[in-house]
Amino acid sequence: MTCDHPSRLLALYVIICATTRASYIGQGARDFEKKVSMLLEQEPENPKCFAQGRKDFTCFWADDEERAGSVDQYAFMYTYQNENSSRCPLRELRVPGGKRLFVCHLNQTQMFVQMDIQINWEGRLIHNRSLLIELTFLLDPPANVTVSRTGHQGQLNVTWVPPPLKYMDDSMMYEVSYAAEDSQVGQVQVAWASSMLILRGLLPGTKYKVRVRVKLDGISYSGYWSAWSDPVFVETPPAELDPLIVSLTVIISLILLVLSLMMLLSHRRFLMNKIWPAIPIPDSKFQGLFTVYDGNFQEWLGHTNGSLWLRPTYFYSEECPSPLEVLSELHLCTSLPSPPLPPKASRALSLGRKDDTKTGLEAREPLERGDSTQSDNWLMDRLRALHQHPIPCSQSSLLESQDTYITLSKNNHGEDKHSNDPLEETLPLEVLFTSRKTVLSESHSDLGSGSGHLSSQSSFEYPNHAGTSKGPGYTYMAVADSGVSMDYSPMSRLDDIGRVAIYAHDYKNEIPVHRGPFLQRQHSLHGDC
Amino acid sequence: MLAGDLSFLFLSVMAGLLALLLIVLEWTLPVLPSPLRPICDLRVLDHFIKEARDAEVAMKACREGCSLSESATVPQTRVDFDVWEKQNSSQQADEVQSGLWLLQQALNLLRTSVTNTALHSHIDTSIRNLLSISGVLRSLNIQEYTPPASAADVEGTWRVSTATELLQVHVNFLRGKVRLLLMDAQACQQDVS
Repeated sequence: MTCDHPSRLLALYVIICATTRASYIGQGARDFEKKVSMLLEQEPENPKCFAQGRKDFTCFWADDEERAGSVDQYAFMYTYQNENSSRCPLRELRVPGGKRLFVCHLNQTQMFVQMDIQINWEGRLIHNRSLLIELTFLLDPPANVTVSRTGHQGQLNVTWVPPPLKYMDDSMMYEVSYAAEDSQVGQVQVAWASSMLILRGLLPGTKYKVRVRVKLDGISYSGYWSAWSDPVFVETPPAELDPLIVSLTVIISLILLVLSLMMLLSHRRFLMNKIWPAIPIPDSKFQGLFTVYDGNFQEWLGHTNGSLWLRPTYFYSEECPSPLEVLSELHLCTSLPSPPLPPKASRALSLGRKDDTKTGLEAREPLERGDSTQSDNWLMDRLRALHQHPIPCSQSSLLESQDTYITLSKNNHGEDKHSNDPLEETLPLEVLFTSRKTVLSESHSDLGSGSGHLSSQSSFEYPNHAGTSKGPGYTYMAVADSGVSMDYSPMSRLDDIGRVAIYAHDYKNEIPVHRGPFLQRQHSLHGDC
Repeated sequence: MLAGDLSFLFLSVMAGLLALLLIVLEWTLPVLPSPLRPICDLRVLDHFIKEARDAEVAMKACREGCSLSESATVPQTRVDFDVWEKQNSSQQADEVQSGLWLLQQALNLLRTSVTNTALHSHIDTSIRNLLSISGVLRSLNIQEYTPPASAADVEGTWRVSTATELLQVHVNFLRGKVRLLLMDAQACQQDVS
């Protein structure tokens, strides 16, 4: 019993040793086969020879199908320089693919001398080659290839163990091949006589396949490229933000922000005016109306002289006043050669208005009041009637200049431009106003007083068919005062009408209220010029 | 005043005597060679090897005027690593030194034999390189070689009859024994360790 255990242990040990050795041999044989197959492809000459170490030398050639000889029929003779020839024992080897190889293996070699090889088959020379053994090295691939990350972006550190050859460490060159896992194209870098290499310029966060192979550099020793080592897969570190770039970006954006804020603040008023324009108030045009008289227009009128009104430049300093002639023959012969003109009530109706007076008239929309349309229609009907019966009563009053101008004439002698008399009133206007007086019931205070109101409509006609009219050859404008009404309670006397502010224009934010009929007409012209 | 003059005279005489003493000592004492910095970088030798290879290639391409007038004695270039490693460093050094000397003689002979002017530059470069290699060996504290009376007295030699063979031997010798010797040099080993 006790004797069995040691024997069993011994047997076990032997078996283990044998299998290990067999595995080594198997591995060696596999490596050998790999080298043989590689040389069969690369080396054109026969026999193909390579050295694996300082003392190892192997030559082989493939059997020719024609000869199909056995090992004994071949003779491998080698001769060093200035020495006698020697014979190398051959052995047969079968490789996958069905080929038969004859192999000569030497355990003792002389380097740095020329070696002549002759292979004879049954006495005849079939292969002849002359070589130097130190120039035929075919090494094993580098072992222990490790790839690690460096601290930097897109870099990998590759290290390996050189083949264990004395005297030849500094004569080795290495090729490192690396490729992204999903890419077919790889790159190659060469390292001379070192056992590490840093790969740069790699993509972050990508998996790379790295392989290494070795060759002697060719100055003192030379040979063939070894097989590629087993590939190693390593992922590069993911992309990270460069702190310098991030900080620079933040600083620059802060600077830009501060600059823009400063710009905005310095041009605050300008920008506010652009975005949200202030509503202009007519304060500047009516001195003291709001400050002294608290918006009481009537009082203010009484305390100012009329000359304020009579200077068109006072109001429209930036506009080009062009006089407009109002042919106001309504009062005598109802010969107002002014066709009912479409109103210029609102800007929105400015397009296509002149084409059809009727439609324009109908398209007029009351902006502020709804019940003024009745009076407007009455007015326009009146004007239409006038237009159909044009009587050039005031031919004499027509000027021959091209400028349009307004004349107001009670007695049909309205030749004066810019009539300074606001009291001169045309009868039709009187009629209009009186009629309107009755209709109007609303009071619409825009000026702050309770008695005044402004209509939202103006009825300006600017005929573009002046040439077709039988009237004067110049452009003219007729005012249909339907859109304007001023309801004053003391407006019971006709002669008060002149004092009453008569206006026929849009009261919008852009046009201040003004008195005087010719002014309103001028204003309409101003809008055109 | 007189005392000052006398002291000055005394000092100058002393300085002169001291200078004379130093000069005399300089002459009499053997001049010790200043230790050379060892040239351990094998790239120097690799450069020489490349140039020798170029000369060999040029000689192979030569057709006329490139032959040895007489056969030359050259060192054996073969290296059996087992044998080489058994030798001690002095034996190795001796082999290398004698071989270098033989090659120098042979290249001088080649220089006079070859009439092709294109090869002259190669041969001159090779001769210069051999002298440089001797200097490298000297820097590594390898003993000087005292040449024998004639080349025939040297052991382990070959005889070559063609210029191509000579330059081939030249290349193989540099690549083999000279390089192995430089690689194993003690002076360089101390630096590494």
